[in-house]
Amino acid sequence: MEKIRVLVVDDSKVSRIMMASVLSRTTFQICDYAKNSMEAVEKYRSLNPDVVTMDMNLPDGDGIECSRKILEINPNAKIVMISAMKDASLMMRGRNVGINSFLQKPINANELIDTLQMVCQSTENSIDVLRESYVKPFIKVLQKNLFSLAGLHSKVDLELDKDDFLDVNGIAVIIGLTGVPMGRAILHMDTQTMNRYSKIMLGMGEEEDLSEEEASDSVEESANIIVGRSVSMINDICKDKEMRITPPGTICGHRIRIVNPKLTSFNITASTRLGDFKMNIGFAEGE
Amino acid sequence: MDAKFVNPFIDAFMTVMPQIGFQDITRKKVSVKDKSAQSLGVTVLVGFTKQIRGNVAYNMSEETAKYIASTMMMGMPVDEFNDMAQSAISELSNMLTANAATNLATLGYDVDISTPSLSVGHNFVVKISSEQYLAIDMDLSGHRIEINISLQ
Repeated sequence: MEKIRVLVVDDSKVSRIMMASVLSRTTFQICDYAKNSMEAVEKYRSLNPDVVTMDMNLPDGDGIECSRKILEINPNAKIVMISAMKDASLMMRGRNVGINSFLQKPINANELIDTLQMVCQSTENSIDVLRESYVKPFIKVLQKNLFSLAGLHSKVDLELDKDDFLDVNGIAVIIGLTGVPMGRAILHMDTQTMNRYSKIMLGMGEEEDLSEEEASDSVEESANIIVGRSVSMINDICKDKEMRITPPGTICGHRIRIVNPKLTSFNITASTRLGDFKMNIGFAEGE
Repeated sequence: MDAKFVNPFIDAFMTVMPQIGFQDITRKKVSVKDKSAQSLGVTVLVGFTKQIRGNVAYNMSEETAKYIASTMMMGMPVDEFNDMAQSAISELSNMLTANAATNLATLGYDVDISTPSLSVGHNFVVKISSEQYLAIDMDLSGHRIEINISLQ
């Protein structure tokens, strides 16, 4: 089996020895060490390792700045930040430059190996897994339930969400997903689609008056059913993991932006004669 | 809604905020509300489930969100509510709810929390319960944060 090459950036000799000992009987192989930021950037460029472990404190600068330079060379570089303190502002600065993962000293061997393995699984691969095993059940259930709840036929489109945000005009029902993977599902649509759909759900005529509350409750209930059934379907297939859903939270208004920091998310659009029913299914990337 | 579930959230706020640089924290009024909450501009929703199910919404103005983000980033100026500031507020909501979950566990209630969803806008409402929910007003050096909690 081909070894995964690791560049260890750490100015402490003890840390380097410990790292070598932890990784000695694994699929990882330390290809070199760098003891400061400058050396790290040079060695990254010449060796092109699969993954880098980066100490936070380096004699000639901090690990985040050094990571930023490495990510300039390769924007897809995989870096695991290792620091003595795991505080929120540090992690935020790190995430902002594009660091994938964080560990705290003293390092636990299993945690290090798990983290390296997770970081090294190719992004492409994990997106495919999410799409096939977790997002497709949502599409099936959405289509089936639009038909059973309101007699709607739909044409469905699925794409990976390339934006870090979702703009909502109308209603968005947010339902959290816990377990593995964790994330959240959002059903959203414009006001007109919501009103038309709710009247059908409630058996009302087109001319009858519908209150805002009745309209949003109908969409909320539908979202609860659709997300609940989708998660049951996923749990039936993946029996070793159990996903659960949180109760819905509903947002109504215009020009609302829901931001998705650090989520891998997918947009589903079901086009029907009433309008578009949209879902955004997002999964948290591992830390 | 049982009042014993409120303290875990207040305690979480009182514990986490000083750790990230806030000194002046006061609990203001706690009230029971039964309509949708008007967002103050920035609302982060975190759901929880398992032995108790519900939602918590952290509601604040954009000014307050920028003030918090700046303090969390060691006083770095935050002029607009950009990606970095949004990520700080999401992270904070996650930390607060995770801490509340730990507090609930000590009361014997095991809960899992979802990823936070941060919404920004000028005029929108947030509904976290079909019945009543609790609103706790917290004051952070003159900035107001409303914690809305609903349980099923």
